Amino acid sequence: MKTGFYPKMAVSGMRKNGRLYLPYIAACILMVAVFYIMHLLGYSEMLEGFEGAGTARDMLRLGTIVMAVFGTIFLFYTQATLIKGRLKEFGLYSVLGMSRKNLGKIIFYETIITWFVSVTGGTAIGIGLSKLAELAFRKMIGIGSSYKFIISGESILVTVIVYSLIFFLIFLNAARQVRFSRTINLINSDKAGEKPPKANWFIGILGLVILLSGYFLALKIEQPLSALAIFFIAVILTIIGTYLVLIAGSVVLCRLLQKNKKYYYKTNHFVSVSSMAYRMKRNGAGLASICILLTMILVMMSSTSALYINREESLRNHYPKQINCTASNYGFSESYGETAQKLMADINSKAEESGAEIRGSFYYASCFISGYFENGRMRLDIDPMTEMTTIDFDNVVQVYFLDLDDYNRLTGNNEVLSSGEVLAGVEGNIRFDDNITVGDETFKVKKKISCNQGDFRYVQSIMIVSTLFIVVDDLEEVAPLYTGYTDHFGNTMLAWEWHYSFDTDLDEDGQIKLNSQLREYIRDELYQEDFWGVRCESRAEQRNDFVRTFGGLFFLGILLSVIFLVSCVLIIYYKQISEGFEDQSRFGIMQKVGMTKENIRNSINSQMLTVFLIPIVVACIHLAVVLPIIHKLLKLFGHNNMPLLLACAGICVLICGIFYAAIYKITSNAYYKIVS
Amino acid sequence: MSLLEAKNIKKVYKTRFGGASVEALKNVSFTVEKGEYVAIMGESGSGKTTLLNILAALDKATEGTVILDGMDLSKVKDKDVAAFRRDNLGFVFQEFNLLDTFSLEDNIYLPLVLAGKKHAEMKQKLDNIAGTLGISDLLKKYPYEVSGGQKQRAAVARALISDPRIILADEPTGALDSKSSDELLSLFKKVNQMGQTILMVTHSTKAASNASRVLFIKDGVIFHQIYKGENTDQQMYQKISDTLNLLAQGGDR
Repeated sequence: MKTGFYPKMAVSGMRKNGRLYLPYIAACILMVAVFYIMHLLGYSEMLEGFEGAGTARDMLRLGTIVMAVFGTIFLFYTQATLIKGRLKEFGLYSVLGMSRKNLGKIIFYETIITWFVSVTGGTAIGIGLSKLAELAFRKMIGIGSSYKFIISGESILVTVIVYSLIFFLIFLNAARQVRFSRTINLINSDKAGEKPPKANWFIGILGLVILLSGYFLALKIEQPLSALAIFFIAVILTIIGTYLVLIAGSVVLCRLLQKNKKYYYKTNHFVSVSSMAYRMKRNGAGLASICILLTMILVMMSSTSALYINREESLRNHYPKQINCTASNYGFSESYGETAQKLMADINSKAEESGAEIRGSFYYASCFISGYFENGRMRLDIDPMTEMTTIDFDNVVQVYFLDLDDYNRLTGNNEVLSSGEVLAGVEGNIRFDDNITVGDETFKVKKKISCNQGDFRYVQSIMIVSTLFIVVDDLEEVAPLYTGYTDHFGNTMLAWEWHYSFDTDLDEDGQIKLNSQLREYIRDELYQEDFWGVRCESRAEQRNDFVRTFGGLFFLGILLSVIFLVSCVLIIYYKQISEGFEDQSRFGIMQKVGMTKENIRNSINSQMLTVFLIPIVVACIHLAVVLPIIHKLLKLFGHNNMPLLLACAGICVLICGIFYAAIYKITSNAYYKIVS
Repeated sequence: MSLLEAKNIKKVYKTRFGGASVEALKNVSFTVEKGEYVAIMGESGSGKTTLLNILAALDKATEGTVILDGMDLSKVKDKDVAAFRRDNLGFVFQEFNLLDTFSLEDNIYLPLVLAGKKHAEMKQKLDNIAGTLGISDLLKKYPYEVSGGQKQRAAVARALISDPRIILADEPTGALDSKSSDELLSLFKKVNQMGQTILMVTHSTKAASNASRVLFIKDGVIFHQIYKGENTDQQMYQKISDTLNLLAQGGDR
């Protein structure tokens, strides 16, 4: 055969199927471009020379991996759809005398062409857009723009290698599909699988059970630390459940509807219910994929946007004042208090020395010990860190002891306690009554207190585990009772902490400067022997890190969401097109038998609306279930703003919904055109 | 008055770019009386399918009129055409045209559901005809589960269930083996004897020999017609064969 025959066949085949191939290639190009940009930003020196660059780049590197994995899965899926649509054509070639090997060659050239166009086009577009992406990223994480423009050979190489591998796998898969099918099956391939599915109660119910147990697990999670492992299981269960429910459960539902004669034998329901029952089994997987993608988009966008928007508040939760100093030590000694007072005086004079005026400030000392809540009392003889595997993290409690004087000063209250009486407050899921037992000591609770009053709310740092606050009349009396407990390594479990936060009249640069002066002063001259650790943190300095982290996450969220959304669009598009071709003859028959154009329109509308609504409705349910956990996980980042998270989620749903509706409109028009 | 009256039907197909036009039907006139069983015969390309499409209101004639039971088909508005077909015509196709998404029962109900009938009423009607057609046991099955002959019987049931004024059959035996063909033809006869008017397009001599009258169409005109009268199927078969031979040799009337 003449050289160039197979490439020609490949090109003409792809051109004839342009309606299928164009979106596919466009998606490939986009994926390659985004991969290149992520890799470039993550690995080149484009994002360098600012504080927090490492954090931001780490996140983009993570994104690169996600892109590679997702790209593989998605392109595989799409390619399978494409090949399925062309099996008949290959069957015809086969009848006309082409061997499997010849067909393999055509597929090979097709893949080569797609690969070439995608990789060169994608890289070119990636290079073209990289500066824009970098500028957007810099803007988002709040650093000035640079005038560097980099084309990274390394990034290009990695992109080419990764996508060549993906395309190689795709080729193998396509060749396998053609090789292991018989000619007659190829020709009749579009007629294959014409059996309407039987309702599979077992799988449908199993799917529902799995889905609900995923939900149940997710809703049961109380503490973020234990949540991570369970959350992961819940996610897996939910994904499996979604697939099973949409594949089998929907058929069951349709069959139930068909059993209801009054409902089923209505002009509008008759055709749509039966064809949905018929098609759900095959399209359930597609719908479930759309649903999972939508859920990912919604979760990603609502959490990262909430984090990003709320960054200042998170920062202030972490760093209540401009400058925050903490000194800590193991055990308890009466001398700590004096040293702390001295430290405060030193810090104040150091600040005044550098010309700063101290404005709002607060300080307190606290002792804390971690315990295990069991049978209504706090056990201190279990060390959660060393017995991690056997204990339930939901019951790990951090117990804080505070002096009444400190408490009254922080809250502005004027509480009075007699000996043996305490004020107690809890943040988390443990309950206590009139008495509270910590270790061997039992305290009489005079009053339950709120943990969020005045500056008192800053005492709890990040709520990873439940926190119990016990305000005692005299800390010096109570703390020594607990110095005897040691952990696995023989260290005293009780820790003492003194905290001093204050504002100044300085601008941000001044604050950072003062903070580093304080830090140096403490490091070089003082207190290293008196305390286990002393640290000074400036809010202004930390702000950068917060913005870098949250901005980076948000940026990544947006990029990945775009990719996921494009994938959704493509899945929907292919679904509509292939269904359109399938339904062409079906609607032809029905028209002959007396279906009016209006009937057709109504039945298509009702059927497609249902099919389209399922994924987004299920995705919203998923989101609703997962929001409390997101809220808890976000607490790890110091984000404790439920209304904002809800608002972000709402806006994301709205945007996704609008976008989704637009896709629906466009693709259903394509469908109409094919059918009528 | 005749049930169906086709007057001077002419159909011209224009090629896409307005070039040469093809006259599929030149001038066709005929009538079908109520209760008649008429076969239209002709070779491929003779225009018989075009004629059937026009009679079925699937296509519009370039000239001429079709009047069904006093209603002029060309006067039926576009949006009412489907409903008109549903209420007045029954179809039996060569390829059965059953929907694979429906069980046979639901396939048969389709025209009635489209007409918005109640389930109880549909069930009653189906019960009336299912026995005659011998498909009572097959109703719950899906098209892919039954044979061609059974599919075609279900298709006949679908055509009959809306009590159409006339059944239009397009090569109903075309996709069937000889045994199933015979069964279907005897079924048609039975249905016809019960008073149902049937118009069948076919190029099977065997099928046509069942009809009470056979029209021959060639090159877009009615070429000849034969009445069965008191003839047996066998005699009719012979007559039709002779006519076809004559046609094939290009003889004139």
